[in-house]
Amino acid sequence: MTMSETASIQDSNTPGGMLEPDLVKRARKGDLDAYDELVKRYQERIYATVYHMTSNHEDANDIAQEAFIKAFQALKSFRGGSSFYTWLYRIAVNKTINFLKQRRNKNHFSLNDLDFNAEHDPDLVALISDKTPHREIGLTELQKKLNEALMQLSEPHRMVVVLHDVQGQSHEEIAEIMDCNIGTVRSRLFYARQQLQGYLAEYAKPA
Amino acid sequence: MNEKQDNFEDLKQLLKFKRHEIPPPGYFNNFSDQVVSRIRAGEAGGGRTIMDRIESEAPWVINFLHIFETRPGVIGAFATIVCLLLVSVVVFSERADQAARAQLAISEATTPVGSPMASMTAPALVAASDSTGIVASTNPVTSLQPVATLFGQPGSSTLFQQANFAPGSH
Repeated sequence: MTMSETASIQDSNTPGGMLEPDLVKRARKGDLDAYDELVKRYQERIYATVYHMTSNHEDANDIAQEAFIKAFQALKSFRGGSSFYTWLYRIAVNKTINFLKQRRNKNHFSLNDLDFNAEHDPDLVALISDKTPHREIGLTELQKKLNEALMQLSEPHRMVVVLHDVQGQSHEEIAEIMDCNIGTVRSRLFYARQQLQGYLAEYAKPA
Repeated sequence: MNEKQDNFEDLKQLLKFKRHEIPPPGYFNNFSDQVVSRIRAGEAGGGRTIMDRIESEAPWVINFLHIFETRPGVIGAFATIVCLLLVSVVVFSERADQAARAQLAISEATTPVGSPMASMTAPALVAASDSTGIVASTNPVTSLQPVATLFGQPGSSTLFQQANFAPGSH
């Protein structure tokens, strides 16, 4: 047995080295170490989805945690028909939409800071200088406008835009997560983009 | 819908800008620990509430309740439907009772007097006991007769007496 084979066997015995189905199996039996590993694998993506939907860091933190807790409690009902990731996403999406329905018309932004790369994103810099040549627009202002425009959309439309255009999910994945057909996803995406283009006409004019 | 023909390229570039919005550094270091400790606290505190169970096992109920929250007019419509259903159930059961009573009356009228069916009808409950101290029973006993027991023959004073719990009596 080579060193690498030994290392891989050891890895597969620790939660960090286990495959997702094994982790899910162990978590279903109440193994919190296995579930901790599952949380670590998906926390950033789940948080980001909720954050982009709510535009509020504190709300995103609460909802993402609640989604993970609910998923653990409901693990016994997870039949494995879809991947754990899709199933978890569905829980987070439903929780977020329910939260937003209750909070209707009470938007309160608590935006995260932009990372260092934002200022150096060549596509973005080119886009801003090209579309608004006579204005000095700050990135923070653009961030605010973008979030305000997203908040104008209905929850299902915003969710499709966030999952597809912000997070890069495929139409098929979104259809599975949102429990609708691909045609619905495409039409929602088209409508949502049209709306956004209207709200952000200053920055995103049609070519 | 061809995306290239939709002229959304600028918008898509703009939306990618959202990817630069990230939580404070080190935010995810304790995230999973917080989740796990909340799960442990929930388990120690007796587990899930009824609403949590409903939410996980029958999410349509929650969605249904949310409709009420967002559209108050639906509550009125739903209440009307429930009332109509209730009234129709009451009316239907009344009619069913009437039909059953009518059927019973017909069967009583057509049944001969000496037949077993006739003897099945319940006699009126006799409030007072007769001279032997036997309390009148209900259907199917039609007459008060001393019955054979394990310890004696009929008529051999094995009749029941009413218990007297008055103070001073035996």
